[in-house]
Amino acid sequence: MAKKKRTPAQAARKAKMTAKDRKTIASLVGMADGVMKSAKRGRAPHLEVPSRSLSNVKFNQSRKIIEMGSAKNRRELFNLSQARTYMQTMLVGRGCKELIEQGKTTSIRGMYYLLKHTIEGTREETFDDQADCDPVIEDVEVTLNALREELHVYASNRGSMVGNITLVDNGDEIDCSRMGSGGYAIPSIVEPEIMQFVKCTADFILHVEKDTVWRRFNEDKFWKEHNCILTHGNGQPPRGVRRLLYRMHNELKLPVYCLLDNDPWGYYIYSVMKQGSINLAYESNRMAIPKAKFIGMRSRDFELCELNPSVTIKLSDNDIKRANQIAKYPWFEKKKRWQKEIQKMLSNGFKLEVESLISKDISYVTQEYVPERLAKGDFLD
Amino acid sequence: MDFRCCKRSAVELASQVQASDKKRTKRRSTAQSMAAKQRSISVSEFFAKNRHLLGFDNPRRSLLTTVKEAVDNSLDACEEAGITPEIWVNIEQTEPDRFKIAIQDNGPGILKRQIPLIFGKLLYGSKFHRLRMSRGQQGIGISAAGMYGMLTTGKPVKIVSKLSIRKPAHYYELQIDTKTNNPQILNGRGDGLDIPPGEKGRAKFLKHKIDWESYYPTQEEDEEPKEIRSGTRVTIEIQGKYQKGRGSVDEYLEQTAIANPHVTLYFNDPEGTLHTYRRSTTELPPEPKEIKPHPYGIELGRLMTMLKEQKEGTISQFLTGSFSRVSPAVARRICEAAGVSTRSGVKKIERSQADAIFKAIQVTKIKNPSTDCISPIGEDLLLRGLHRVVPGEFYVAATRPPAVYRGNPFQIEVALAYGGVNAVQKVSMELLERLLEETDARTLRQFMMNTFDGLGSDAADKIMKAGEFGSRQSPGKLDISDRERLHHCMRNVNVSDGQSMQVMRYANRVPLQFKTRDCAITQTIMQTNWRSYGLTQSRGSLPSGPVRLMVHMASVWVPFTSESKEAIASYDEIQKEMRLGLQAVGRKLGIFLRRRKKVKQEGERRSVFLRYLGEVATAVSELNGCDREDLLSNLHRVAKRVTKEADTKLDKSGKKITEESEVDYGDNVLIVDADHEQNLITHLEKADPQKKLF
Repeated sequence: MAKKKRTPAQAARKAKMTAKDRKTIASLVGMADGVMKSAKRGRAPHLEVPSRSLSNVKFNQSRKIIEMGSAKNRRELFNLSQARTYMQTMLVGRGCKELIEQGKTTSIRGMYYLLKHTIEGTREETFDDQADCDPVIEDVEVTLNALREELHVYASNRGSMVGNITLVDNGDEIDCSRMGSGGYAIPSIVEPEIMQFVKCTADFILHVEKDTVWRRFNEDKFWKEHNCILTHGNGQPPRGVRRLLYRMHNELKLPVYCLLDNDPWGYYIYSVMKQGSINLAYESNRMAIPKAKFIGMRSRDFELCELNPSVTIKLSDNDIKRANQIAKYPWFEKKKRWQKEIQKMLSNGFKLEVESLISKDISYVTQEYVPERLAKGDFLD
Repeated sequence: MDFRCCKRSAVELASQVQASDKKRTKRRSTAQSMAAKQRSISVSEFFAKNRHLLGFDNPRRSLLTTVKEAVDNSLDACEEAGITPEIWVNIEQTEPDRFKIAIQDNGPGILKRQIPLIFGKLLYGSKFHRLRMSRGQQGIGISAAGMYGMLTTGKPVKIVSKLSIRKPAHYYELQIDTKTNNPQILNGRGDGLDIPPGEKGRAKFLKHKIDWESYYPTQEEDEEPKEIRSGTRVTIEIQGKYQKGRGSVDEYLEQTAIANPHVTLYFNDPEGTLHTYRRSTTELPPEPKEIKPHPYGIELGRLMTMLKEQKEGTISQFLTGSFSRVSPAVARRICEAAGVSTRSGVKKIERSQADAIFKAIQVTKIKNPSTDCISPIGEDLLLRGLHRVVPGEFYVAATRPPAVYRGNPFQIEVALAYGGVNAVQKVSMELLERLLEETDARTLRQFMMNTFDGLGSDAADKIMKAGEFGSRQSPGKLDISDRERLHHCMRNVNVSDGQSMQVMRYANRVPLQFKTRDCAITQTIMQTNWRSYGLTQSRGSLPSGPVRLMVHMASVWVPFTSESKEAIASYDEIQKEMRLGLQAVGRKLGIFLRRRKKVKQEGERRSVFLRYLGEVATAVSELNGCDREDLLSNLHRVAKRVTKEADTKLDKSGKKITEESEVDYGDNVLIVDADHEQNLITHLEKADPQKKLF
């Protein structure tokens, strides 16, 4: 590609860099130097990218989190199947440097557009779609051992928070108890440099799976009544939500309770929040909350709450497959109660959404279901 | 036969009915009356009725057979006389279904008294009674062609023959008397016409409207034309059909030129176009030696005839004198095994003793016949011949050592050309239109498969599909836009995948064009596993790919499956030799194809890398501020090293590399610069237009 011409405005916008930024830039330059050195010596350049597959994660029994192993994949420029990804890795590195130098952040989608162009002399695009770009960004993260935030890239905002907590986000003080019906949108980057906690009076955190359930709780002012912080992650919680939960759990010593659907997907959300994910295993130690507790929905709730059979959803083949997979994860394997729970769901043959409780009463979930279990300490761990 | 039986039983039935009132029935025919109808059949009469046996079954084939017989005779005569052959073939259309065929050679000519016998009597010739490698074998061909002409057009055979530059030429007009199988001379009151040499003679040729090529064609403008010293010209007018494509005169002459690189052919087709196949060597093939029959190749009847022909001497003398490889010691062993005294006279040998001798021969160990009586084309000339006529990228030839079947020595030669374009892609619009008019194929698909050699059904289907022609489209009912579309598709559809191997079969340098399936050559090719040599092949069929394969069997006696000499009989010994020959060329083709594939893959690999190098260099230089161009050239250097294999063929100047590739293949291989390699280079240059690094 021809060198992009910088406008004077762009050059002037060079921002002051923090120490962290300088460290990131140094590792990016180091990556580039490696290419130059091996090319000069007539060697084929390559990168060592830590493997992000199931085979390279280990469950740390003592810390109760998923950790990344030491296996690395060699990414070679002169290898037919890797040449393109290699080129993309370098492009992402370049994009990150540009962002850091200008003191800007962008979404991963923005990154994709920043780097997408036609390779000169061909009709080939550097990236075909965003799905082509996202894993490469993660590769750069693990390769440089830098976090996404350090690369000035963030994921799209997903997830909201309300509750008795006041914090400073990028200089603005925010009182999360005064967020109306919409709540405070949890940003992607919640590092201490950006976000500081000012005051917190809450006793615990209730994390629910979806926006719809969260609204129910917010409308019923559950967090006021029970003095808690109420969050949701819109399905699988993004990194920002997980990181924020982690910080609140550890810095403010708040226990975390999860209210998720009774299906394999819900189990896995809990698993990711508790132990970390396979794909982002390298971030487990700053995101995983091993002490998080699972309130529900439980498989037995169908009988316990005397639900109407018509609110059940039949398990699909895929669900059954996934449930069996989850049951075999090392961090579930030895937990008898969890094994029982999964088996119960499988023998039920159906799954339950949190919303199904509405068939009892609109506010059944906020007034009876959760308070009852909190009071009894009836959780799955 | 059936009919007669039926008739007889009907009559019998009737006679049974009548038997009650009439005791005696009348005999329909007596031995005497039958004897009156019994008489010998002249060989000419037999063949006039059974002309399909000699290759005159349809008009198109008759035309080919006539040309073929005449050309074969000419080549045999030239080679026997030690003259480098030049042959003129003229085909002229006189009426819609009649053609005048004239073939002239520069051979030794024929003695005046022999001309009528050679051209006007079936089964008269020099080749039948001796065991010697030659094209003709029986002495039927040319006279049968003359007879066929006479039967279909009534025109006599015209022969001009000249023995030397100073002697007069003889001109005859001949007919065969089919009743007696004897020639009838029509002109000059049964004595022919003598034409003096020199200018006078040329005037006389003109006056009597006799065609004769007096001078060799000159290759350069100011060259003095050389007079033809001797030769024979035979003109036959027959009912026929001229159609190009498979099994045509054009194909026959082309294939003849391949197997006979010492021959120059001038072919004037009915459209007036002159095709010239110039020789690539002036060296004549070594003269084949005549050999005596080998005992293993003899049959009991023939043995008895030979015994009868032998006037005197002992049985031992007979055996040593009449057969090859029979020494007195071997003769003694045969006699001992047969229980016959070696000293017993030939005349006294009885039938039972002859039988015993025949059986004894089979069990006695006799050395194989000497094989120096065969003159193969040779690997070098095969390559030259093939390269001259067939376009391709890769040529390989193999001549097997001589072997023996049933006491007859023979030798197998195989040559292969790979690549090049199919005739389909070279065809011009005009030629295509003419071919479409000429064809009698019912569907377009059939037309393409019949007309273009080596175009398999898959390839034909591809063309049909590309042109969106219906599967039952008739070739005659295409309008101009259809034809143009067809032409476009034929030129642009990639047919090399569906193309099936084209096989050229030869026996004693004569191309065999019919009965492909019956031939030992085709059968052996199909039995050979070509997949291991990089070609695709479905079970029990010819392999596919742009391959032309030539298989030549040279022998003192080629075992044909029929008199029209179209297919070689499958003897185990022959098939084994063929298989070994095919494997020899196959192995080398395999090396070539594998290598080419690798080079191609490496070339593709490199182009993939080159595509990304620029991007990588830009990114790196922006990351650490290094010099982009410097880095790029370093990266290019690495790319070149990593994909080194691609260079071994691209780099024509690198001497070391060319030497290596030659060593790999061994001898008898010819590699022509392939177009696709050229494309590969330009493709690479396109990938990085600013820098021509490679």
